[in-house]
Amino acid sequence: MHNIVFNKVSKTYHEKEIIKQLSFEIKEGERVVLLGPSGSGKSTTLRMIAGLEDISDGELYMGETLINDVPAGDRNIAMVFQNYALFPHFNVWDNIVFGLKLQNLPESEIKERAKAAIEMLNLKGYENRLIQSLSGGQKQRVALCRAIVKQSPYFLLDEPLANLDAQLRQHARQELIKIHESCNSTMIYVTHDQVEAMTIGQRIAILHEGVLQQFDRPEIVYDNPANLFVASFIGTPAMNLWPLITNNGQVTIGSSTLELPPYVKEKLTTPALTVGIRPEKLRLVPVERAMLHGECQYIENIGNIQNCLFQVNDMIKGFIQFSGLENKINIGDSLGINFNWNDACFFDSETGINLNSKQSH
Amino acid sequence: MKINLKKELIGHIILIVSLLICLWPIVFLVSASLKDLNQIFQYPLNPLPENPTLSNYFTVLDRFPIFQFTGNTFFIAITVTIFKIITSLLAGFGFVYYRFKGRELLFNSMVLTFFIPMSVLIMPNYLLISSLGLLDTPYGVILVEIVDGMGIYLMRQTMRSIPKSIYECAILEGASPLYILWHIILPLVRPSVISISIMFFINAWNEYFWPLLILKSKTEYTLALALPMFISAEGGSEWGLAMALAVLTSILPFILFIICQKYILNTFIQSGVKG
Amino acid sequence: MNRLSKSGYLLFLPAAFFFSIFYYWPLLVNVVLSFFSWNMVSSKIKFVGISNYTDIVQTAEFYSVIVNTVLFVLFLLIFNFVLPYIYSYILAYVLKYGKNLYKVFFFMPSLFSLSVASILFLWIYNPLAGPIDAILQIFGLDSPRWLKEPILVIFSISMIIAWKVFGYNFILMLAAMMSVSKEMIEAARLEGASDWVILRKIIIPQTSSSAIYVFVITVVFGLQYVMIPVNILTQGGPNQGSANLVYVIYQYAFVFYQVGKSAAYAVLTMLLFVIFAWWRNKVLDKKVYYEN
Repeated sequence: MHNIVFNKVSKTYHEKEIIKQLSFEIKEGERVVLLGPSGSGKSTTLRMIAGLEDISDGELYMGETLINDVPAGDRNIAMVFQNYALFPHFNVWDNIVFGLKLQNLPESEIKERAKAAIEMLNLKGYENRLIQSLSGGQKQRVALCRAIVKQSPYFLLDEPLANLDAQLRQHARQELIKIHESCNSTMIYVTHDQVEAMTIGQRIAILHEGVLQQFDRPEIVYDNPANLFVASFIGTPAMNLWPLITNNGQVTIGSSTLELPPYVKEKLTTPALTVGIRPEKLRLVPVERAMLHGECQYIENIGNIQNCLFQVNDMIKGFIQFSGLENKINIGDSLGINFNWNDACFFDSETGINLNSKQSH
Repeated sequence: MKINLKKELIGHIILIVSLLICLWPIVFLVSASLKDLNQIFQYPLNPLPENPTLSNYFTVLDRFPIFQFTGNTFFIAITVTIFKIITSLLAGFGFVYYRFKGRELLFNSMVLTFFIPMSVLIMPNYLLISSLGLLDTPYGVILVEIVDGMGIYLMRQTMRSIPKSIYECAILEGASPLYILWHIILPLVRPSVISISIMFFINAWNEYFWPLLILKSKTEYTLALALPMFISAEGGSEWGLAMALAVLTSILPFILFIICQKYILNTFIQSGVKG
Repeated sequence: MNRLSKSGYLLFLPAAFFFSIFYYWPLLVNVVLSFFSWNMVSSKIKFVGISNYTDIVQTAEFYSVIVNTVLFVLFLLIFNFVLPYIYSYILAYVLKYGKNLYKVFFFMPSLFSLSVASILFLWIYNPLAGPIDAILQIFGLDSPRWLKEPILVIFSISMIIAWKVFGYNFILMLAAMMSVSKEMIEAARLEGASDWVILRKIIIPQTSSSAIYVFVITVVFGLQYVMIPVNILTQGGPNQGSANLVYVIYQYAFVFYQVGKSAAYAVLTMLLFVIFAWWRNKVLDKKVYYEN
């Protein structure tokens, strides 16, 4: 078994608790992304798995063993760093075989493994090149290569694509998934980029201020965010969040009133309710048929899609997203907007919790 | 930046005049060593010796065991340098890559020794060296100079410039700290280590006071100690010889400086940039 | 970053061992010995309480030593702090050409042993036939006895240190001046700030941490360096006129063989340095701009 289990793991640094009571399990062979804004503790979590940060409290298991006090070098982990951490005075080949040589593997096996990895990452012909002479993308591939020759059951990546150009990134994402599928190790990937998280992760763990917010499949994280933080963090533009006051179990947006579903009524602690709806779920309609009447305040055209910031009143404003071909809208135009209540999420404004969430925190 | 010609000119005049004042003693030192005594006294200001002669050098080499002095000095300087580099490398490495309680305190307690006035320490250290029976041996001089606060400071500064992830990556591969220091870190900081070594070497080479106390017999003397022997009575008449020996004493630091002046200047500068 | 494993302490062990033995232990020994009377060689050693201290403080010598020390510090600060500061400003901000050459040449005197420098200046100061005398004679002047007159001797010896140390402090200050952000100065120029304002509002604050360092080493090392020419050229004379705190510690131990008084002077000197360090931290650091 090569799973990883966090049991109430905490990390205190300079008397500040930066990881708070983290409990979750990463299954063997799974591809998990740790996602969060900077300072959320995602890198610290990864480094605790690697053994580069010690654990202040709680238990961390890898396989069946408690590894709180196992030194980093004994954990059999492969890791790729954001700045690649290549040894600048070695050539590509020596970088790749560095760890294997330390393990005292037979020369023939070292060669075999390194050649296979070099083949896989298209680095053939670069073996004798010095690190300084490589491009960013090549360095990144050497770092990956050095990690996979270890054939370790755990594969950790700390923002490995952050230093690449946007165009290289998409290709690198595909490559990473391919590598994972061929070597089947347990992969934990840290990023602050939600596109990377959505595309790479089989499950995404979202961290905020050292607390795990949600740990689920990408589509669930997107469609049914566990709380207001996740709702506002995932998606560009983010989910529209409208704070409202319920009235006799009903809630009104513009000209549309909804009798709240029973589960919402049941769980709501105060009348303050936040309704969340994704920008792409809003539809532009002729003004006379619209549920909401807003004014366009800002519009950005990304080519295939347009994002329009609109305002209905002080409480209700947000983005609407639609195809770039569909409509031509200018700042100041009056907009008619419709939506379907089935697309909405309901959050308790006091606690921030999604009332439809299966996970309860 | 626009060049203001007048300012540029005045500035250069000030600097060049000052530079001449600074360098004049050096020029004078070399030229006096090439003059005979008459010339020294008659034309003290003339920088160019008439009929330059090496006779002062030959006399010095003839009358004093210069090679022995040089050997003594070299032995002390090189040993001190090696030990200082080793202790500074190890401690500097520890301060950069390990976190533990009291780290800053330990670091400060080591680096601040750099500012303890040497004369406060000499008497107790003299008693200690004497009780160890190391008086009048080069080891008595060396033993006290095995550590250097500035060396530890400089090593830490240099190693800090290497990304931590390089160290961490090697740790994950199962390398031991000393293996990492030797095979990964040291090759990356080699230029700095070389210039710090040269700095240590020049300082140890030039040292006067501590060797003066420890080394009693002439056979153990270093070059810097031998020089004042000429000045038993003020106005002693052997100026030419003194200048020749002074040149011989200074020539090695000078050669080292000229060979790697860029590195050395950078190291000396680093030692003054507070972190 | 890793927690320090048990064997990790071995990295610090050699340094910690030698620092304790040869830097911290002596400080303790001084404190203890300062309460005893001893001539270093005999086996007779007598506890005398604080009388070493009271004796020292009651002599006129103590006060002249303090005055001499202050004079040394003043001369050294002028030549090794103020001048390098001005010169590095000129080179960094007034001049465009020649920075590296000046650096290399100004640094050269730093390569000399103070024993060489002392001998060299002994000749230069020679009042009968030395080069300075020769220059003065051109103007029909007599050379003063540089190393024989009170106060003048302090100036003369300070000049030897100044000659050796100037270049070192100069390149330190120059490096600090050159590291001031060019963008900041350009931005100030665009706002119409004069050179004077730029110096006061940008360059002085931005270089203050290096300036403090140069200030401290000028005082601390200047005083230590002074020992060497004093010992070679004047042995504290004329009439203890060039003896300073750092030198009398040596003198009492190794010339007068009064270990107790030497230790007492050492303790007092150390106290002064601690006060100086504290003052530097408390007062000067507040006015200093540090990056980060």
